[in-house]
Amino acid sequence: MSGRGQRPGAGAWLLLFPLLLWSLAFIVAPTAILVVYAFCQRDEIGRVVFSFTLENFQRVLDPVFLRIFGRSTAYAALTTAICLLAGFPAAWHIARSQPRTRNRLIMLVMIPFWTSFLIRTYAWMTILKQGGLLNGLLSYLGVIGSPVEFLYTPGAVILGLVYAYLPFMILPIYASAEKVDQALIEAAHDLGAGPLRVFTTVIIPLTRPGIAAGILLVFVPAVGMFAVTDLMGGARVMLIGNVIENQFLAARNWPFGAALGVAFLGMFAVVYALLARRAKAA
Amino acid sequence: MNMRLPVVLLALASSLPALQAREGLNLFAWSEYVPQKVLDGFTAETGIEVNYETFSSNEEMVSKLVAGDGDYDVIQPSDYTAEALIKQGLLAPLDLAALHNLGNIDPAYRHLPYDPEDRYTVPYMSGTVGIVVNTAVVHTRIRSFGDVFQPRFSGRIVVLNDNREIVSWALAYLGLPTNEINAKSLAAARPVITRWLKYVKVFDSDSPKTPLLNGDVDIGVVWSGEAAILWNQDHKFRYILPSESVHRFIDLLAVPVGSRHRAAAHRFIDYVLRPEVSKLISDEFPYTNPNGAARRLLSPAQLANPASYPKGGNLETFRDVGRAASDIDQLMTDIKSAQ
Repeated sequence: MSGRGQRPGAGAWLLLFPLLLWSLAFIVAPTAILVVYAFCQRDEIGRVVFSFTLENFQRVLDPVFLRIFGRSTAYAALTTAICLLAGFPAAWHIARSQPRTRNRLIMLVMIPFWTSFLIRTYAWMTILKQGGLLNGLLSYLGVIGSPVEFLYTPGAVILGLVYAYLPFMILPIYASAEKVDQALIEAAHDLGAGPLRVFTTVIIPLTRPGIAAGILLVFVPAVGMFAVTDLMGGARVMLIGNVIENQFLAARNWPFGAALGVAFLGMFAVVYALLARRAKAA
Repeated sequence: MNMRLPVVLLALASSLPALQAREGLNLFAWSEYVPQKVLDGFTAETGIEVNYETFSSNEEMVSKLVAGDGDYDVIQPSDYTAEALIKQGLLAPLDLAALHNLGNIDPAYRHLPYDPEDRYTVPYMSGTVGIVVNTAVVHTRIRSFGDVFQPRFSGRIVVLNDNREIVSWALAYLGLPTNEINAKSLAAARPVITRWLKYVKVFDSDSPKTPLLNGDVDIGVVWSGEAAILWNQDHKFRYILPSESVHRFIDLLAVPVGSRHRAAAHRFIDYVLRPEVSKLISDEFPYTNPNGAARRLLSPAQLANPASYPKGGNLETFRDVGRAASDIDQLMTDIKSAQ
């Protein structure tokens, strides 16, 4: 058995090789291409021309795009907050159930993944549309007199995002919560801690890794999502994902799309580094 | 050993189209535009499999075409986009001797400015962009873009999610020429579009009929084929050619220079040119059929559909505007993000 701190041997490298190859091919290489493109120009039809320019990054600083960055962050933050509020109790409850029930409940969380995400989004549109199931139910119950506009609103976009990413919050928190020893909670109670105290000083710290992973797993994809805003928001709300998608398709301006992507990546890398440093210091 | 692993791997591999050997014909066409029946019929007759990949704007198509390694055999650009592709040398000249059914195309659709000698393109379908009104809800008379974009219809409008289109409507409203896109004309269009977009509820180019059918909106500015389908569903959906001016488009079939299956591409184009095949397209996607022989096979009801075969109108066609295309996008991103 090799001790800690020892340099990895040939066997370890061999085991690491698939992961390294994967990262190189699907993370490092595409990002490198993106960075190169970001400094390039385009020709009339939209082909990338390899001559150096900073113009793309100058345009990224345009207030229009800064505002879109801000709005995207706000949408993603709200989505993450709702996912956390809804996901934590669910994950905790699942983790504390009997093993049989627990597996069934986890299965229920996973089942939606068996259907295409787009099809599930269209299903939501059927529910939310003006002549849809929700309006039909509410007017049948006499709650509303005339149909309410649910679809193609910012609220519908948030709903779509929460729906899409909730499992990514539940699963990591569940993994943390499952490991929490019931004895610790009982001990806290025995020592006189009330439910709130137990929650804040025992449960939260013990599930923190799961919460942190869940926040990352929800926030990062939510901030770049464009399909939900197009379908459920009627393409009215522009988030950064829509703008970047537009640069690559409608505007045929790959260098600018790449610059937006790189700026975005850089911004979140800085934020992440700052948060990680603070967490270390704490 | 475990026999299940190879099976799983096989299933995975077949679910990744990118990894499959691309055999047969790679068709890159608009979404909701090529009936499955046509593709199946072609495969049944020739044994050539068709991979149908879709796009929802000309710009998207060009973007993927110039980025790819020329994996497409037949593409479906509109007139002004074909013009740009020809200018850039991205379309292969057609082998006219292989297109036996070319004579079926109505003379009105031949030798048009985007391809004056008909060397690169064959008309697929044509259409207009016009106004659809749900007359069960809207009782006032709508004749123009100016009538559509009014505060009283706020939140009740669907428009194409196509920046060039939207800019062209504002230019038409201002009485400016469709194809003169420059700093001055865009500055003039800006306040009009800013005001108009406040009233729009949905932007959708793929299926703008859906929010109209669902009752989420009452008025639309949409492709004529979508309007024709709405009319077939319910005559309450009326199609109106805007009085300012009307964008008429012709969607074409063409072969990119990078195509590796040119013989198959020509066979496919020739197959589509057959009257009975072209009729199948009209049956499912009721745009204006440029195939004269196919049009003779259509029923009186099909020909009477006011969206498929509208009368009159001040018709305008788009021309390639080169780099100004990106100015259009910049303007629209500005306006949309400021809302």
